[in-house]
Amino acid sequence: MAIEKMKLIGIIGKITQVNKILRLIILSGSMHVINSLTKVSSNDFVLPPNEENIKALEEVPFLKPYTSRRDFSREEEVVRSLLDIFDLNPAIKPEYFDQDYEFDDFMKQIFEIHSAVHSIAESIEAKKRTIEQKRVYINNLRYLENYKFNIGKLSKMHFLSFKLIKLSKENYMKLKKNYENIPAVVLKIADEGKNVVVASITPKSLDETVERIFSSLNFTELPLPEDFDGTSKAAIKHLEASINEDNSAIDSMLKSIEDFRTKYSHEIEKAYARLEMEKKVEEVKTNLAIGKNLFFMFGFVPASYVDKLKSSLKGTFGEDIIIIIEDAEKKTPGITPPTKLNNIALIRPFEEMVKMYGVPSYNEKDPTLFFALSYLLLFGAMFGDVGQGLVLFLSGLLIKYLTSKTVFGGVLASIGLSSTIFGFLYGSVFGSEEVIPALLVRPMANINFMLAGAVALGIVLTIFGFIYNIINSYIDRNLEDGIFSRNGVTGLVFYILLIYAVYSYAVGTGVLSPAIPISLVVLILLMVFKQPLAGRLMGTGIHFKESPVDYYVEEGFGALETVLSAMSNTISFIRVGAFALNHVGLYIAFDTMAEMASSGIASYLLLVLGNVVIICLEGLIVFIQALRLEYYELFSKYFRGDGVEYEPVKIRLTHKPLRGKNLIKRFIGLDYAI
Amino acid sequence: MDRVTRFAAVNTKIRALEGDFLKNQHYVEMLRQKSIQELAGYLKENTPYRKLLGDINPDAVNRATLEEILRRNMVNNLDKLLYFFYGTYREFLKALYLKYEIEDLKNLARDIYNNSKSDLENRPYSFIGKYSKVSSEHVLKAVTLREFILALEGSEFYDYVEPLLDGKRENLFRLEMALDMAYFSILKKSSEKLEKGDRKIVEEYEGMVSDLYNLQWIYRGKKYYMLSPEELLNYTIDMGNRINFFKRRQLCYSRNLEELNNMARELGYGFLFKKEETGDIYMERRINRFLYYRLRALSKRYPMSIIQAIAYTQFLEFEIRDIISIAECIRYNLSPEESGRFLIRVL
Repeated sequence: MAIEKMKLIGIIGKITQVNKILRLIILSGSMHVINSLTKVSSNDFVLPPNEENIKALEEVPFLKPYTSRRDFSREEEVVRSLLDIFDLNPAIKPEYFDQDYEFDDFMKQIFEIHSAVHSIAESIEAKKRTIEQKRVYINNLRYLENYKFNIGKLSKMHFLSFKLIKLSKENYMKLKKNYENIPAVVLKIADEGKNVVVASITPKSLDETVERIFSSLNFTELPLPEDFDGTSKAAIKHLEASINEDNSAIDSMLKSIEDFRTKYSHEIEKAYARLEMEKKVEEVKTNLAIGKNLFFMFGFVPASYVDKLKSSLKGTFGEDIIIIIEDAEKKTPGITPPTKLNNIALIRPFEEMVKMYGVPSYNEKDPTLFFALSYLLLFGAMFGDVGQGLVLFLSGLLIKYLTSKTVFGGVLASIGLSSTIFGFLYGSVFGSEEVIPALLVRPMANINFMLAGAVALGIVLTIFGFIYNIINSYIDRNLEDGIFSRNGVTGLVFYILLIYAVYSYAVGTGVLSPAIPISLVVLILLMVFKQPLAGRLMGTGIHFKESPVDYYVEEGFGALETVLSAMSNTISFIRVGAFALNHVGLYIAFDTMAEMASSGIASYLLLVLGNVVIICLEGLIVFIQALRLEYYELFSKYFRGDGVEYEPVKIRLTHKPLRGKNLIKRFIGLDYAI
Repeated sequence: MDRVTRFAAVNTKIRALEGDFLKNQHYVEMLRQKSIQELAGYLKENTPYRKLLGDINPDAVNRATLEEILRRNMVNNLDKLLYFFYGTYREFLKALYLKYEIEDLKNLARDIYNNSKSDLENRPYSFIGKYSKVSSEHVLKAVTLREFILALEGSEFYDYVEPLLDGKRENLFRLEMALDMAYFSILKKSSEKLEKGDRKIVEEYEGMVSDLYNLQWIYRGKKYYMLSPEELLNYTIDMGNRINFFKRRQLCYSRNLEELNNMARELGYGFLFKKEETGDIYMERRINRFLYYRLRALSKRYPMSIIQAIAYTQFLEFEIRDIISIAECIRYNLSPEESGRFLIRVL
């Protein structure tokens, strides 16, 4: 329930084995690779000088980055076209990488398959093209089907030329209106809406003129088969027969492709998977440091995976590989350990919402738990309703299990649940307050309580924010931030005193003791002088990051801002109460309209509509408002979010659909059936 | 829909954009500049174009880059109008803008034909793919006209250019004609979907445009290209204000230029053919100047109508044309008085 511990692992192996080693690492999917040269050249890189390491030590001065990036475009093209021809769905399964293989040797065999299959595929394509051509002829001949003359004779006339052409309707109208000037017989044969098909007969000597005129009308000539003797009907019959012949030829070729498919489909799938793997390997290689015979790589691995990775590497490569394991806490400039959040399943979806703001750094305290709980509290308080909450909850579950948006579904289900709980506290079901009693309070009847309660909640949450920052600063050993800053101990005391002062002034419990204003001023002074104070205490001397004048001007205004923001941050939480009221108010508006409606059905429909509007519109607003309170009022206090996300190199394996998911689908299907 | 709801907002936008048009004084001073760089500098220092030329070094500007900058600005401004329309009006406006896209397509086709596409750097054809479904990526990759035509597949132009793919007609002339015909045909179809009042106004304006271009086409076809009357007629735009189909046919079958000239005068378009010897080079300018005044009149007469957007578009085009003309005149060392005669705007 926090940020997972990391180990820094170094691997030194033979260059001849680099691909195999990387394959294993990628399959394990647990290493966040970092730039190895940065690590090797940093001064905390030590390799104990013993016999085992002697070869590696010799190479250290000669290490250089891996630069020659391999181009896989030919392999990719071949694999793609084979997948296409065989109509296979590419899949990546771990067993494809089980045996020991050399990628290039393996690909040679794939290339051979490809060249055999490719020529067949080509001739199928060629046949298909001739069929296409014949279809075009048939289509064109159909226009002449009703005429019982020999089309062969028509196209072989000596002095006249016959043509079938297509024109757009606009252009046909132009032709028609100027028909008396056209040196051709033009006969409209078919009208196809946008286009018109006409036959034209011209003396051969005027062919060119007519062609130019038709060109200016943007004509398309419809080709007819040459060398055919007989009517259009007969020609169509003949063509159809030859298409059938072609088709059976294609079938037999497809058959032989099918044979190839059954024989090699497994190999092709494997080729795809291995190619993807090789591309990944190439990507990882850019982070390696390469020597003469050895390569060095470094990466972070979660502590719980270290043994597994180590034993599988040692098991496969034995003495050929040197593995170094270091603690991630050791600080190397330029190398930040990645953050892997590890929370219980229930609040895991909220990790994404934290990451929207920033990834927690490795040393920071994971804020997800606090974030999730406070977010649920805020959302529920603003949107408390049993019915509407359940709608959110159920739709969250549906989204989570039926689509791939598990994060969104998870969040939605959680906030729905929280809303339901608050619904019971407020005694509200789909807006109506008459169905169940309120366990805690009816918002509309106790407006002052709601608003004051919201502010009180805000104060509590803000104090938690302070505590988080103090813990984080302690972990970081940051005295300045933890003790003296406005978000540290000083700030916390100042905040509590200020709230107390304002409270007693507002309630009017008499005169404030003079100690309070004095201590407030002292605390402010502490905050202004935080850097020199911390410097003195730590014994590092007084160092200003910028010039002292700038520092004091900035901190002077900072003090003013502290006072203002302490108040505004707190009052900001009043919106929690306001939205709870707003929620009821919106329903009342629809309820009133429903009462005014004349018929029962209309009022029922209005209530349904009201609920839909409230769930969609107000739900969204409250979702955003709660997020705003979290990010702006709380995260700005204690959360830095400048970490690096843990991104292990891995290859996405294709899984079979999970049984659990099917079960739920079936379960829901059953539900609908009932 | 209520005219006010449809046009009030866009008209306000147009007024605001029109505030950036150059004034007469600007033109007079631009004509006095001695080099393209000075011209760019003047635009940058003294005119509303300063926003546009803000981070451009005037000394590095040549005619082509200047034109490209101005055209890109035009794309931006036209886009602004588009946001105010939806449905058939938006379609119409896009169809209207296709004119500029087709201009770019034709330029590209010309460059492909002349094998001079290498200076892509200078002429990135800003408009291609902006308003039509043309994929600029595909079109720009084309090396032959055939590839160019095939690259238009899927766009609204493809129906018009597809018939050219018979192996004989893949030439520049046919292609340009087909694209032009496509423009007017698409424009006509989309204008027919406007509401009645706007449809009438568009018919009047586009009819006038077609009259002028048809006359110009027939004149040029007869004088320079020796085309047959049938071909001339087939390539005319199928719209018209004073010139209907039968008048158009008469014009095409006129026996000589004298007769054509007389017929044009009877139709009230005699100004296109003034007696001067050099008349032809001014013909384009005369058409534009005539349209400029007609548009001014129309947009005054119909304040709440689509003509406002049309007029803005056209005025913006005229302004850019004039700036480019000035740039060209400067380059060929023409005196300001001489150059002034090539401008659409009367100074």
